[in-house]
Amino acid sequence: MEIVLALAIGTLTASGLWLLLRPRTFQVVLGLALLSYAVNLFILAAGRLRTDAPPVVGREGPIDPSLYADPVPQALVLTAIVISFATTALLLVVLLASRGLTGTDHVDGEEGDQ
Amino acid sequence: MLVLSALPFLGSFGAAFLRSRNMAAALAGIVTLAGLALLIGFYPALAGGEGSVRLVVPWLSSLGLDLTFRLAGFSWLFAMLILGIGALVVLYARYYMSSEDPVPRFFAFLLAFMGSMLGMVLSGNLIQIAFFWELTSLFSFLLIGYWHHNQSARDGARMALIVTAFGGVCLLVGFLLLGHITGSYDVDVVLEAGEAVRNHALYLPTLILILIGAFTKSAQFPFHFWLPHAMAAPTPVSAYLHSATMVKAGVFVLILLWPVLAGTNSWYFIVATTGLATLLVGAWSAIFQNDLKGLLAYSTISHLGLITLLLGLGSPLAAVAAIFHTINHATFKASLFMAAGIIDHETGTRDLRKLSGLAHFMPITATLAMVAAAAMAGVPLLNGFLSKEMFLAEALATHSGTVLDSLLPYLATLASMFSVLYSVRFIHQTFLGPPPRDLPHQPHEAPHWMRLPIEILVLLCLLVGIIPTLTIGPFLATAVRSVLGEQTPIYSLAIWHGFNLPMLMSVTALAGGVGLYLWLGGRLNEFPSSPFIGHFKGRRTFEIVLAATVDGARALHRLIGTRRLQVQLRLLVATAFLAAVLPFVELGYSLGTRPGTLVDPGFAVLWLLGATCALGAAWQAKFHRLAALILIGMCGLATCISFVWLSAPDLALTQLLVEVVTLVLLLLGLRWLPKRLPDQWPDAGGLFSVWFRRAGDLLLALLGGGGMAAIAYAIMTRDAPQGISHYFLEQAYPGGGGTNVVNVILVDFRAFDTYGEITVLAIVALTVFTLLRRFRPATESIALPEQQQRQNAFDDAREGRTRGDTVWQYLLVPRVLMEWLFPVIITCALYFLVRGHDLPGGGFAAGVTASIGIILLYMASGTRSVETRLSIQPVRWMSAGLLCTTLTGAAAWVFGHPFLTTDFRYLEVPLIGKIPLATALIFDIGVFAVVVGTTALILIALAHQSIRSPRAAKPSEPTSKGAR
Amino acid sequence: MNDWMQHLTIAPIVLPLAVSALLLAFDERRRALKRIMSLGTLAALIAISTLLLWQVTDGFGLSPASAPYVYLLGNWPAPFGIVLVADRLSALMLLLASLLGFTALFYAMARWDRSGPRFHVLFLLLIAGINGAFLTGDIFNLFVFFEVLLAASYGLLLHGSGTERTSASLHYITINIATSLLFLIGVAMIYAATGTLNMADLAERIPAVPPGDLPLLEGGAAILGTAFLVKSGIWPLSFWLSRTYAAAAPPIAALFAIMTKVGIYVILRLSSLLFGATSGGAAGFADNWLTWAGFATMLFGTIGILSARTLTRVAGHYVLVSSGTLLAAIGIGGQALLAALLFYLVSSTLAVAALYLIIEPVERNADEEDMIAGIAEPVFDDEYTGALEEDEDETGIVIPGTIAILGGGFIFCTLLLAGLPPLSGFIAKFAIIDALFRHAAITPTSWLLIGLIICSGLATLIGMTRAGIDLLWTPAEDSPPRLSVIEVAPIGLLLAACLALMIYAGPIFLYMETAAGALGDPSAYIEAVRGTPPVTKAVP
Repeated sequence: MEIVLALAIGTLTASGLWLLLRPRTFQVVLGLALLSYAVNLFILAAGRLRTDAPPVVGREGPIDPSLYADPVPQALVLTAIVISFATTALLLVVLLASRGLTGTDHVDGEEGDQ
Repeated sequence: MLVLSALPFLGSFGAAFLRSRNMAAALAGIVTLAGLALLIGFYPALAGGEGSVRLVVPWLSSLGLDLTFRLAGFSWLFAMLILGIGALVVLYARYYMSSEDPVPRFFAFLLAFMGSMLGMVLSGNLIQIAFFWELTSLFSFLLIGYWHHNQSARDGARMALIVTAFGGVCLLVGFLLLGHITGSYDVDVVLEAGEAVRNHALYLPTLILILIGAFTKSAQFPFHFWLPHAMAAPTPVSAYLHSATMVKAGVFVLILLWPVLAGTNSWYFIVATTGLATLLVGAWSAIFQNDLKGLLAYSTISHLGLITLLLGLGSPLAAVAAIFHTINHATFKASLFMAAGIIDHETGTRDLRKLSGLAHFMPITATLAMVAAAAMAGVPLLNGFLSKEMFLAEALATHSGTVLDSLLPYLATLASMFSVLYSVRFIHQTFLGPPPRDLPHQPHEAPHWMRLPIEILVLLCLLVGIIPTLTIGPFLATAVRSVLGEQTPIYSLAIWHGFNLPMLMSVTALAGGVGLYLWLGGRLNEFPSSPFIGHFKGRRTFEIVLAATVDGARALHRLIGTRRLQVQLRLLVATAFLAAVLPFVELGYSLGTRPGTLVDPGFAVLWLLGATCALGAAWQAKFHRLAALILIGMCGLATCISFVWLSAPDLALTQLLVEVVTLVLLLLGLRWLPKRLPDQWPDAGGLFSVWFRRAGDLLLALLGGGGMAAIAYAIMTRDAPQGISHYFLEQAYPGGGGTNVVNVILVDFRAFDTYGEITVLAIVALTVFTLLRRFRPATESIALPEQQQRQNAFDDAREGRTRGDTVWQYLLVPRVLMEWLFPVIITCALYFLVRGHDLPGGGFAAGVTASIGIILLYMASGTRSVETRLSIQPVRWMSAGLLCTTLTGAAAWVFGHPFLTTDFRYLEVPLIGKIPLATALIFDIGVFAVVVGTTALILIALAHQSIRSPRAAKPSEPTSKGAR
Repeated sequence: MNDWMQHLTIAPIVLPLAVSALLLAFDERRRALKRIMSLGTLAALIAISTLLLWQVTDGFGLSPASAPYVYLLGNWPAPFGIVLVADRLSALMLLLASLLGFTALFYAMARWDRSGPRFHVLFLLLIAGINGAFLTGDIFNLFVFFEVLLAASYGLLLHGSGTERTSASLHYITINIATSLLFLIGVAMIYAATGTLNMADLAERIPAVPPGDLPLLEGGAAILGTAFLVKSGIWPLSFWLSRTYAAAAPPIAALFAIMTKVGIYVILRLSSLLFGATSGGAAGFADNWLTWAGFATMLFGTIGILSARTLTRVAGHYVLVSSGTLLAAIGIGGQALLAALLFYLVSSTLAVAALYLIIEPVERNADEEDMIAGIAEPVFDDEYTGALEEDEDETGIVIPGTIAILGGGFIFCTLLLAGLPPLSGFIAKFAIIDALFRHAAITPTSWLLIGLIICSGLATLIGMTRAGIDLLWTPAEDSPPRLSVIEVAPIGLLLAACLALMIYAGPIFLYMETAAGALGDPSAYIEAVRGTPPVTKAVP
């Protein structure tokens, strides 16, 4: 599992970075989206992997933490998801606006050597 | 003493608010005279023995910087100079300044300058000296630029400011070093530590820094060039700042620190050489000036050089001479400047070539000027003569036995010859000779009050010159004693020392000077600039240097700066990569020993797909946006599934919902992006540069990805440290009243994060909305999409059909379905919300779900028809949600608990069963509201763009109510 | 300390948030109301932060004994819940932020707050975010508040729209999103290595981290550091800064003046906690790097100032210079220097804010396009036309002698920035150099720093005089700009603050020294966080 997830994170990051460095705004947005997937998985990985652990704790009796997945990274990821959603939306709109105002969708607002 | 130093500033503050010229002048006069009186009151205290009055006001004690005032004999004399000449200048200026100018401002600046100068002289703390030093530079800047409507004033002012400020900074650092050496900034302490300073390793840098400061201020070669250009200032200013006081500031510091710094070889060579050079250069250029004030300015430079030279010699007697000459020079030069001012004022020109024979028109001024000039030339029975004699005597005496030393006498004589020459020229060409022709105005005698200051000064020259011992003697003695202390030499102020070498030298100088003038005569007028050194144009050099600096800076700025986003992102990625990798390089990269969970083939396949999609997206995003979008969606899906796999159902749910919304958003956005087809946008892949850049990016991407993978793997193979997480698992139910730990963390343990998070959402939504209010699409995307156009064309073609007939039903089935679905979705959302505390779900998921329902409705039945039926007010939702969360949090205060403390009960509800009624739930409801509001606002605002009609077109019915 | 006083610590965050939520409920037409509410909020914030200052110093006493205030959110014990910590440093920064906020908002009421909707809401939220960043004691919560303040800054930067703003903010936003991702990665790595998020807890756990996990920790810290350095505008990651600030409306730019300082603050805080005396060579390495990066930044800023063609660019690059100075000084380290740089931080922030405020009126007569006129005209006629487009010109009471006042203000700004007397700039410069000389041996690095400080000061002087002479002294044909009290008062307030810094330099400097001392020895901070028990009072 670990190795697969690691590779997945790596691939997502690589393609995200590649897109991030492209000159077209839309590519940049997609790149950031990919990167945020990668980062979310990364945060989750920071809590180590646990397959098929119960999602909720029991109501009675003492709880053995070792049975459950580490909840903290999950909470962090939830927050991260929301925030990255928000910023992606914002960036999208800004790029639309700048495309409208500058007439190009180049990140620098002027047609450079793409 | 506080009063004394504060008085001028108060006066200047007052003067700034006065309107009439007379009142301002009167105020200035009163202030100055009061100061003078105070100062004189101090004298007895000083004259008696070692007198130096001190006053310490604690200020920044922890850094050894207290407001310290120190009045010793020398500073007293200097203060007298400042206030005395100040008073005269005020009187003079009253008549000199024309009433058109904003005279009160002039006096305000003048007084402020006087204050700073006094402050400097009275400072008992090095830093304080530097402080006031800079202030004098500042006010001199303002005064030079007083007539800022003419170019030369502006340039002169700026040059003076930059040069002297540069010097000031050097001085400050020098003083700091001095403080570092002696361990204190207190002047008296420093004066004690002379020996230690001279032997300290840092002596030389300290000396040089301080000297740079002093030389820039006192216009020593090669920094002298600013002074002549400062003559663009009104004449009273030139008389006051640029002959009597400010330019003496450097000399003042040199004299003050003379006991500490002087006496070493480096001191001798630097100071004496500079002084000599300045003396000669100044005198030489003064000869060839055609502007009265120019001539005086250069002669000032040369006299300052003389003083510096004297100090450089390092013998006590020379120091005495220096102090003495400082005073004498101030008196006669100030009077000469005033005379020049009168001439300028009355005749309208200062050009020596135009002027002549003014003696007929203004006999009194002429006489005064002649006497003053004679003093400048060092004619016997005038004060100039005495100090010059001292100077020549010192020049003769041996100091270091070097070439410089043996040349000194001749050079000194030469310099005095020059000074005689230009003095004669000044007098002869201005006052003697035939009556002037074609002057701007007809000259006549100046008003009496305007002459009075000159008369007083000239009288002083005479008195000091004839009966020195009775007039200046005692004061000079006090001053000298305060500086030199026990090494005060025996000196005599007698006029007649018998026939000796100095006498001979002055005679030679006088005769030579006059002779030279007779020989050269009017021919001096032909010189456009002084020969040999005239080509050294300080000003031009300065400006060239400045311009070069700026251009160089611009070039460099272009070189090491950029506006391009890609470059910046590359730098960012590269830096982050290095930052992350270095520690691993340093400490070694190692894997942990944690037994890995065994690989599930399904998972592997899933990510095989996911990775392919990611790569495909990266590959395709350029031309096939839609395809790329879908591929990205697949990656998102893969992420969701792996969340499920890794037992994080909440994440999976949220990610899925967010995925949907993001996709919708991006789809809505696509409509406004330009067409990108390979044929329209030829791929420049052929170019090497492009290829190179792409290769670089690819490398960066691979490195980054590899790094992340490696780090992630290193983490996952390690055992988790005994962190804080166990606490949450244990406390979730007993403490937080929920079994879904993640949700409990979100709404209870770390609710504050969520609180901030929804704030972010709200902010973003507002921003998006604001931006879209002003949205201006690119021209080519304003038109309807092709498909719609085709349909409309089709409809128009057939009769009996109206626009939209073709398509009005094409979504009928989905529409019906979705309209039925809407309540279901909403219910489901509420269910998520309620159960969130115990099972996967929660406010955020619920909110997104609800807004998905809404957007589905929009998609199905079109914006307008939706909004005719239900009006959504997203901003209200947001506001309500935020308030709700805040109040829930604040409610805890009532019970004396911190913000966001929760409480919970369980409630039996028929049918639904036991629902947790934690305050956290209310908090979650707030979250829900905010999320619904924001998501709806963003989506709707974007959706609206396609139905808003351009201003050009016919007005359409108002439909954007929903958008706000 | 009674029950309500104990909640003082969170007020700087919750108050603006609540008020802005309330403001959302009213629409744009209620401008007067909004103005009153938001201005009132900021005034209250000034009061609150002063009160906090009073608390953490035991009534402005300067004894270093006074312990920081810790606020356990949700009443959960320290390492588990989120804590807010108010110590001398954060109290100081809070006061600074609220002061800037107040002046900027006041100034904005001249007209800027009408050039777009929801100005006040965004403004308050930005303040809330900044305060949160100053107060929080939890790295992930820090991330959240960074996002809050960044999001608000996006909104405010775009405020008033226009092409330049839009494309500038496109860069700004992209870079900051990327930076936030870095932030997350860093936090994740640190959590992976230590298993905690609470700063004080981290400080305690770090010495116990097994050597095998150190690279994870340090790598995470390094990535985190990179993120903060981007925020604080270090070269070569700061090319966006001057452009962004130049594009923003003046009051916004003035408020942005503190945002780089947020980055600096976090670096100070974390480096003192995480890599204080306890940590090993890595910190030294980082410090060295920081110093040189700071030098590079100063150099770049200086060059930028020299080559700037507009005053806004001068200001933007001055921000870089001050950041560079601070970073380099942090890198060199040392108690005295730390105190000096805190003083410099406050002084330079106020100064540059004042400059941003004064630039606009100064350049107004030489101004190309009025910002409000510069807004992109609405293209769609279904625009909602609120109270925004009504262009009543309420310049307020126009005061005489505009030029004189502007000139005076401008000169004072110049002196402040160039570090010349009589205002606090001089003291700051003096203090830094003095501190450098107080080191046992004067190293080449200190000489370099001194040289750069001097050069940047002169460059500022040159740039400012050039611009100032052109703008103020060259005879202008057109009538002098009309200046309203609303615009003058804030500038005056800021300059007065600098004057106060100057006059009360003694006590203020003592405060800085104790604050620096607390940074040097974080044990008090850690103790306070660990020691604070949850409130045990039972809920009725």
